[in-house]
Amino acid sequence: MSYTLPDKLRTTVVGSYPYFPEAIKAFQLRKRGDRGPEYETLVREATKKAVMDYLDAGIDILADGEQRREDMAVFFAEELGGFEISEPVRIFDNVYFRKPVITGKICWKHEITVEDWRYASSLAAGRPMKVTLTGPYTMFSWSFDKFYGDMRGVILDLAEAYRKEIEVLARAGAIFIQIDEPALSTRAEKRDVLVAGEAFEIMFGGLDNVKRITHICYGRLERLFPEIMDFPIDQYDFETKNRNYELLDLLKEYSFDKELALGVIDVHNSRVETVEEIMNGIARGLELLPPEKLYIKPDCGLKRLKRETALAKLKNMVKAAGRAREELA
Amino acid sequence: MRLHAGICGSFPRPPALRKAFDDLSEDRIGEGEFKRILMECTRDVVRLQEKAGMTILTSGLLLWHDLFRPFTRGLEGLEAGRLIRFFDNNFYYRCPTIIRRIRWRKPITREEVQEAKKSSRELVKAIIPGPFTFLKLSENRFYASEDELLDDLIEALMAEVGALKDSADLIQVDEPSLVDPELGRAERLRGVDIVNEFLSRLGIPSDKVVVATYFNLDPERYATLLDLRAGLHVDLKSTPTEADLALREHVFDGPILSLGIIDSRSIYPEDPREVVYRVKTYMDSISPETLIFSTSSWLDYIPYNEAVRRLDALGRILAEAEVRFI
Ligand SMILES: [Zn+2]
Repeated sequence: MSYTLPDKLRTTVVGSYPYFPEAIKAFQLRKRGDRGPEYETLVREATKKAVMDYLDAGIDILADGEQRREDMAVFFAEELGGFEISEPVRIFDNVYFRKPVITGKICWKHEITVEDWRYASSLAAGRPMKVTLTGPYTMFSWSFDKFYGDMRGVILDLAEAYRKEIEVLARAGAIFIQIDEPALSTRAEKRDVLVAGEAFEIMFGGLDNVKRITHICYGRLERLFPEIMDFPIDQYDFETKNRNYELLDLLKEYSFDKELALGVIDVHNSRVETVEEIMNGIARGLELLPPEKLYIKPDCGLKRLKRETALAKLKNMVKAAGRAREELA
Repeated sequence: MRLHAGICGSFPRPPALRKAFDDLSEDRIGEGEFKRILMECTRDVVRLQEKAGMTILTSGLLLWHDLFRPFTRGLEGLEAGRLIRFFDNNFYYRCPTIIRRIRWRKPITREEVQEAKKSSRELVKAIIPGPFTFLKLSENRFYASEDELLDDLIEALMAEVGALKDSADLIQVDEPSLVDPELGRAERLRGVDIVNEFLSRLGIPSDKVVVATYFNLDPERYATLLDLRAGLHVDLKSTPTEADLALREHVFDGPILSLGIIDSRSIYPEDPREVVYRVKTYMDSISPETLIFSTSSWLDYIPYNEAVRRLDALGRILAEAEVRFI
């Protein structure tokens, strides 16, 4: 099966999709240390449903819905060397979460995402399947460090580990590789941005057979400019709808001319955006970039929405991109 | 100079209490049983502090979901609203929402402070949210003027402090908003005025009150804090370079200085010798009658087992300081 991507206004997703009941069951098994055949079957069932929904919506570049990952940092911490998982930490009221703890030198031990990518690709009806990795700066920010005592050391070792994963993914044929760095916009100071840049250099430097993407959202994206534009990144995936596309003015100011994955769906709001509304968003993006460089997608992962809402939003998004393409033709 | 060690505020809830909260909310236990577990855990946490060598103890604030919750529940006129991020932490508080006139009815935190006092021979510190931070982080849906609001709020907090006077050796007024980077200088100065007004109306000697700030210390903000007419707690770990400059650039001549030198948001091991060495280098610009070695802020940001280790480090810092400061 092969699928020809449209040459303009390609649609995609950031990664996560609402968890299916099978995924929730799988999390419970994983928590008990049970990663046997039943666990694998549940994860695959959930992944299949997520991919099917993305296909049903008509997305061009898919993702696996991250049905295996209950937490985007803990998941990688459990697979990389050098991490343990903390005792519960309170987040509000009497609600707790566990954080990764760095207790040794961080290293890549085995393939983490390749098998899931292969499986999801096999369901994708020939459409490209994106892989998402939780970036080094975010892993550092969301972990406790008991070993390094030095942000840069942690981040660069994480980047080295991810480089290995990315190389394996590239050899397996993955084209769209996305580093998620939501923490980068929360409290990154200039020195942090520079370290993140070094990390991207390690992860993506000299790779020319993949589409190098980063997703960053919320917080203060503006603080990452202009340094971030020099990172070895082909496509910047930003949250823009939530802040009424203000970010586009900033990008214009910096003469941004790389590929932009434009957030046109608010993932924190259950209201389904109308096709016209999304088309207006796309029009905003087209003021900045030609349609070949503009990808259309939600602001962020969809996991916090109800499945029906997520699907309805995506369907309108695909419709809007289609109509915008017709208007351009 | 007297040396002390003590945590800044809360201690993480012990596993038994975590469970008791869930059991209570799902009706597996009643209020009485919950209370019994709460008091038992309070005693445990007090003993842990004592055992680690703390000389100023808190109740651990085990019942406090956040800085305001006992007060949003215990004061008249308030309710707990939506969850809001507490400064730049992955921790959320429920916004105190003012829906009627604020009034103090009965002691809110006295019981836990009394329990701490009964369980130990060391000094006990009681904690209340300060009026400025309360004002800044709450939502007013009732008062037409902020002055009226503040007046009632200050009145209510004064009544609570009045109820604590007999059991607490030290009162800590938490005012993290005084160093909030989002606030401009004018607002900060107004904050200091509000807190000073509160302190003067409290009428407690300045060596019995500490105003606690945490996160985001820098020289400009620190200079403003020096006008407070009370002891001061500052966080030296959240912005270490700026905080270090602050302490060297400005002279502190208040009665009590509490230095948050153990990071309450990290679990990276601290070297007691290094910490004491660093604090000694501040001695040119600080000369309080009482110097307290403390955690940078509350300990809710790390797991219980790690907080126990933090306590231990603080105890070793005091022991080291007692040798080095002579
Ligand atoms: Zn995101």
